[in-house]
Parts: sequence; C-alpha cells; structure tokens
Amino acid sequence: MADQHQNGDTHLSKRTKLSYITDEEIEAEFSHHDPEVARLNNGAFGCCPASVLAAQRQWQLKNLRQPDHFYFNDLKSNLLRSRSIIKELVNAEHVDEISLVDNASTATAIVLQQASWAFHDGTFGKGDAVLVLHHAYGAVKKALEAYVARAGGAIIEVPLPFPLTSENDVVREFRKAVEIGKSESQGGDEENGTANRTRNRIRLAVIDHVTSMPSVVIPVKELVSICREEGVDQVFVDAAHAIGCTRVDMQEIGADFYTSNLHKWFFCPPSVAFLYARRSSKSRDLHHPVVSHEYGNGIAVESSWAGNRDYSAQLVVPAAVDFVNRFEGGIEGIRKRNHDVVVEMGNMLVEAWGTHLGCPPHMSASMVMVGLPPSLGISSDSDALKLRTRLRDHFGVEVPIFFRGPADDHRSVTAYARISRQVYNKVADYYKFRDAVNQLLQDGFTSTAS
Amino acid sequence: MTSYMENDTDTHRNGAADSNHHTAKKPKLTTLLPISEPLIHEEFSHHQPGVARLNNGSFGSCPRSVLAAQSAWQLRFLQQPDDFFFNKLSPAILRSRAAVRDIINAEHVDHVSLVDNATTAAAIVLQQLSRRAALGHFNRNDTVVMFHCAYQAVKKSIEAYVTPIGGSVVEVQLPFPVRSDDEIVSEFKKGLEKGKLNGGKVRLAIIDHITSMPSVVIPVRQLIKICREQGVEQIFVDGAHAIGSLRIDVKEIGADFYVSNLYKWFFSPPSVAVLYCKDNSKNVHHPVVSQEYGKGLPVESAWVGMRDYSSHLVVPSILEFVNRFEGGIEGIMKRNHDGVVKMGTMLKESWGTILGSPPEMCASMIMVGLPSRLCVMGDDDALRLRSYLRVYHAIEVPVYYQALRNDDRDPRDKDGFITGYVRISHQVYNTIDDYHRLKTAVNQLLEDGKVCSGLPKE
Repeated sequence: MADQHQNGDTHLSKRTKLSYITDEEIEAEFSHHDPEVARLNNGAFGCCPASVLAAQRQWQLKNLRQPDHFYFNDLKSNLLRSRSIIKELVNAEHVDEISLVDNASTATAIVLQQASWAFHDGTFGKGDAVLVLHHAYGAVKKALEAYVARAGGAIIEVPLPFPLTSENDVVREFRKAVEIGKSESQGGDEENGTANRTRNRIRLAVIDHVTSMPSVVIPVKELVSICREEGVDQVFVDAAHAIGCTRVDMQEIGADFYTSNLHKWFFCPPSVAFLYARRSSKSRDLHHPVVSHEYGNGIAVESSWAGNRDYSAQLVVPAAVDFVNRFEGGIEGIRKRNHDVVVEMGNMLVEAWGTHLGCPPHMSASMVMVGLPPSLGISSDSDALKLRTRLRDHFGVEVPIFFRGPADDHRSVTAYARISRQVYNKVADYYKFRDAVNQLLQDGFTSTAS
Repeated sequence: MTSYMENDTDTHRNGAADSNHHTAKKPKLTTLLPISEPLIHEEFSHHQPGVARLNNGSFGSCPRSVLAAQSAWQLRFLQQPDDFFFNKLSPAILRSRAAVRDIINAEHVDHVSLVDNATTAAAIVLQQLSRRAALGHFNRNDTVVMFHCAYQAVKKSIEAYVTPIGGSVVEVQLPFPVRSDDEIVSEFKKGLEKGKLNGGKVRLAIIDHITSMPSVVIPVRQLIKICREQGVEQIFVDGAHAIGSLRIDVKEIGADFYVSNLYKWFFSPPSVAVLYCKDNSKNVHHPVVSQEYGKGLPVESAWVGMRDYSSHLVVPSILEFVNRFEGGIEGIMKRNHDGVVKMGTMLKESWGTILGSPPEMCASMIMVGLPSRLCVMGDDDALRLRSYLRVYHAIEVPVYYQALRNDDRDPRDKDGFITGYVRISHQVYNTIDDYHRLKTAVNQLLEDGKVCSGLPKE
C-alpha cells in the first residue's frame, strides 16, 4: 500500500483518456448499493466505493492482527499522511491546522466547548452573542443550546428567505443580523430585572457553507469579510457538505474554524471529517472533548487519539484520493459533472411538474431543491416525512423532502425535494422519481389523506 | 416501538431464541458440544501467527464470527443508509443495550448507554461534575479522590474538567506488590481523610475495578460502602477491564457511574463500552451534541452524528459466541483466571521472583516479577524490554516499573530488589507455549548477562 503514495497524493494525476474509470467500473464500485433504490439522497449519508471499503478492511485487519504493533508503529504516521493530504486539498498553511474527527458534529462540539469556557471564565461577557443561520443544521442549534445558551451566551438567528433569487438575499439578512447583535443585547439579565443596555459583542458566527435543508450554497467568503469588518471575534464555517461538491480554499474563505465531512461527497466510509483551525491564540484553546493522554498537545494530536477505537475511516483518505483521480479532472471534474447533471435533472423535473427550483443554479452544488406539485398537499413537516416514507416504501425512491412553510394560496409550492447527483446515479433514477410523483398525483394522493 | 426481540440478522446460528436476552445469564442447554480447540484457533486465525499474545488487556481481541456479524451490519447500512437510519439502527442499539443490562444486572435499560470507550465515559462523568461546579455549589476545599495509578486518560480528564474549576485531586497510593484487600482499604481511607481536610467535601471518588498498571482487582464494594459512610457525593467506577474478566453486579456494587469496555475481554470489535448511570435523570450528556440532545444519555449516545455504529450492534452475536463455550462467559472467566494464575506461578518459579498480588486479587491478568538482574530501573527500561521482546521474540507483553519504597516490604529475589513486572493475560486463544516462550526469552537474557539499558532502543 505504501508505494502507491510516493508523490501522487497531492496532485491531480495526469491520466490519458484511455485510463479513466469506465461506466462499468463505476457500477462495480457501487454494486453494494441496493439496485432497487433510486438513490437521490447522497447528501445525508454519502457513499463509499468498493475499492475504498477494501482499503479500510485492510487497515482494520492490520490492527486486529497485532494491535500493539499497529498502535506503536502504524497509526500515528498514517493519520499524519491523511492530514497532509487534506491540508493540500483545502489549501491550509500547515498540517497542524488540520485535525481528523468523526464528523462535523464532533468538530462543532470542539469549537463550541471552547466558546463555553470563554463564557465561564469571563473572556466572553454574559449576553454576548453567537450568530447562526436559521437554516443551520438541527444538531448545531442543539449544540449552541448545550454549550452557549447554558453558559450565558445569546443566540441570534439569521433568517434566510427561501426560495432565493440571489446571494444578495443572504448577504442582506446577514448584515441586518450583525447590526442587531452589535446593538442592545438580546440576552441581558432579565431574571434579575436588569435590562442589559451595554453594547454587546458578537463573539462567534456559525456559518454554513452549503446548508442542509433547504440546500443552498452560501457566499461564505463575503459573509466572513462582513464578520471581520464588524469585529466578530471568531468565525466557524460548518461546511458539512462542502468537500467534494464545492470549492474549499481556507485562504480564500478566511475563517478561523472550518469543518467538512469526507464521507458525504469525498468517498470515505463512515465516518471521517476534518476540522481546520487557523493557527492563532484561539486555536490553542481547542480541545477534543474526549480527553486522553495526548491532552495539551494541540487539537490535531488530541484528536488522533480519543481512546481506543477504530480509526480505519481516517486512514483511507489516500485511497479516496486514488479513487477520485481515476476520473477525468479528478475531484473538480466530478464536482462539475455532478453539478451540471443535477441542475439538468432538476430542470427536467420542474418542467414535468410545472414548479420551480428553490434557488438559482449557481447557488447549488451537487444538490438542487426541486419544487413539488402543490396538489400533493404537504402542509407540515410530518406530511413531508410521510411523503418521503411513501416514496421509499412504495416506489423505491430515496429523497428528502423539505416543507418550507404554509403557502399563500393552494397553488403555491410548499415543499421541495432535495435531489442529489453523485457518480453512481443514472438518468433513470430521476425519471423514476418523476414518474413516482406523477403516479401519486394520478392516484389522488394528498399527504393529509394518507 | 419495534420490539427488541426482533431478530433480523442472519448470522445467528442457534435460531430465534438467541434474541432472548436471558442467554447472558444461563448458558443455553444445547445438544452441540462446546467449541473445540481447532475452532477456537480458526476464530482467531486473523491474529498474527507466531506472536505470543500476552497483552489482551490493552487492545482486546475479537473472533471472526463477531467480525462477520459486524460486516453484515456495515453492509446493511451501505446498501440503503436512509432505511438503516430510520428503521434498523435504533432497535438494534436497544437490543445491544438490553443484552448488556442483563450482564451487569442493571435495574433498567434506561440506565445503560453505549459509548466508544471508557475514555469517553470519563469525559461524560467529569463534564457533568464540571457543570455542577460551575453552578457554584462547590467549595474551595472540595476534592476528587482517585488512585495514583488511575489510567492516564482519566488523570488528564481531571486536568481538563476539574482543575479549571478549582477542584483539587487527592491521589491514593496503591500499595504494590499488594498482599490483601485490607492494604488497599487502609490507603483508601487515608485518602478520603485527606479529601475532607479543612471542611472539604469529596465530590467524586474514582475507583478502578481492575487497575491497569499495575493490574490488581480492587475491593470496590467495600470501598464504596466506606465512601457512602464518609459522605462522598458521587462514585465513578472505572471498570475498563471488568466485563468478561469478572462478575459485575452494578446494583450490588452501588456506584453512581460504572463503565466497562466490551472490546477488551468481551470479544467486541473496536470499539464499544457500556456506561451505567444509577440516576437516569438528564444531568449527564454526551459531549457530541446531536438532535437527540436532552432525551437522556442512552438516546444521545445512540446518535452522535453520522458514524459507523456497527461495533455497538453486535452484542447479541457476542453472546452467541461466548455461549459456544462450556459455562458461557462464566466458564471463560474461570478458565482464564485459572490459566493466568497457573502460568504466572510457573513463570515466577522459573525466574525465582514473586507474583504482584495474591491469585484472588487478579482476574484474567496477573503481574509477575522480573528477575532483579535484568535491572528495570525506570519506565524507559520497561519500554525497552517490551520492544525487545516484541521485535526479537515476537512476544507482546507490557512491562511495568515499580519504584522501591525503601522499607522492609520491598520485594527481593536472590540477587537483589525486584522493580520490574510483566502483566500477562490469558484469553481463550492462548496456549501454554505462549508463556513458555516468555519464560525462555527472559532466562536467555539472564544467561547472556543482559540488562534493560543494554537492550537495543526501538
């Protein structure tokens, strides 16, 4: 395994057209996917090709064979190799800035725990605020409750319109929220009857790179600039989806902390994510919540040993890179084709149903939000879930459904399907979805009736 | 809610009755003979051949049939992950938790959470202490009491979560070599006294069930009784090695928190551990927050974001495995104990040294004194010897350095003071030859007049 990774890891291999992966090979790589299912929800759980799974098994067996030897001789150096590759991929300055963790939720816990301590020891004042997008992932909002609200911090949500017509929609709302955060405190000490009228600060902004539901590519670079202009102390970009479906450049984006899952769009098995922490005094305060003997050696080293566990998913990053480099254009080529096809399929569906896309194509990556026909009668989150279940159980279509809120009239779109495109998808998958919805309409299906 | 009795795996060999959680307590009456030596060998054929594996305590071991069950779960997820998430994951986690509840005799499955490892459990327990302290209920002189040989990660967790809030730590010396439970009880009492100096309250006592290095079985029930008498607020038992080494009855033991790794002695893949919380109220949280936050630790721990949960799902398959042995897990524990005591005795007699503790104070591991002539003078020497044995003799065994106390209790052999020990283990895959190889390797070093500092540095 070692000799395949001399110099090739960090550059896109220059291959001849003849040696690119074929359609048959792609099919074989994903032959473990249930063939009866039109898999349009790559965003939730990602996918992993057979060759990367095989590499993972090799690592697992190596450990089981002689775990002491593995621990003393193999683990650290190979985790470092994975981190080095990621550092190149995301244009970080130094490999110390890259930690490997299980998932974006773990990275969030790390960043927010640091904020929590800052509230406790007075570095952040009570009533200082943390900014978050309204469409932030549910788990992130819960983490804010656990680590920030409980420690006395205020949470300010930035409302985002949906459907959207341009980035300005996002930027405008964000600027408004920052103004609110800088003015009178949202929190204050209401229990004691003292309204806090001092100017509070926004200590941390949590910004999605690609929101989950509804899925939209956020202009993070611009939002980070606004944060810097307005004196926000720390910026944390939750880019759970980003790597493998949009451009990820740490110097360009300029955030303090940035996390992305590699098991969603970068072909790694469950689960592995990276946490980027720009070298600074703040990054020194980051700690992995599971404390081991590495405590105090920096977040990257702490994360490399969170007690005895299976680290194999973190070790196969080189194998995932090998996989993407079998495609024309490597990961950039994959991204571009995914984007082009998902937009094309999205347009096909909205034409078939007479609806619209939830945002312009340039604000989508490898997923688009497709308006569903209003006569499906989706008027709540539970209706959306019922439809999703129906599509899975009766039609073999896996696609998440988003309820955007009550409509002005019965002809308005209230729900969107988030369709994805990854290298294993076929055009037939989208036709299957189209036909399933048409069938439901024909059968007079409405969510409230079922 | 889907009944946890549902059996949807196709790897169970003995039929649907295996999903009956009572298989943990009573070995099934079966017409099949107990598993044979060749089959045991086959189950562990992925272990590197030629290595005398005497360090089961660190990383544990997992048989092929449990690995196969794990692969089956992984495949189910990969085939259709949404369906797995919505329909299969929760019931399977509940099944595993219920099986573990029976093994440790917890009163209700709500008290049982599955986490990655004991290190994660320590973070959970200590974070909750930290939160309580932040509410301002603690005094300046309040303390946390623990053994000086507590696992390094636990000590670091205290540094991370207790020290910043102003708590101080009292370390109880573990007498080693140890001769009886009384010696430990006596030291522990002294530690509690120290912990209560100047009106302080002992907010948390951390007690190992089986210490790691040096390895000794601690009289936990006795110590907990003393803790309750002395007004210790919370007790956390670190039983990292316990499940599959000795009988655990959490009700009898009476701790507030009890953790044990399943991958060390209970044949699970890396990695999964059980954390028992006596009070299943919502004051403990998993540090990785998900949408399940606030629903109780067992539910929070069952979803900490997207991960591979397969190692948490194979407990029923583990029970199937252990029940192929005569006497089930109890039979395995007994044979491991008898085996390690017998081999430990063989070694100490060959080397002219001592055992670190009497047989009744060990489970499946025992400390065996190394000949003083090897001159184990510090941790570096111990590590050198361990590496030497691994590289030159394909023997994996951890080596421990114990400083002298400079009193008449210091252990001796015919040539000097004993300061080094090996911690040998016995698990179902071991053969007598493993221990004879260790015996010979050490005797060879003596014959060659080698000392630790003269060994090649790895």
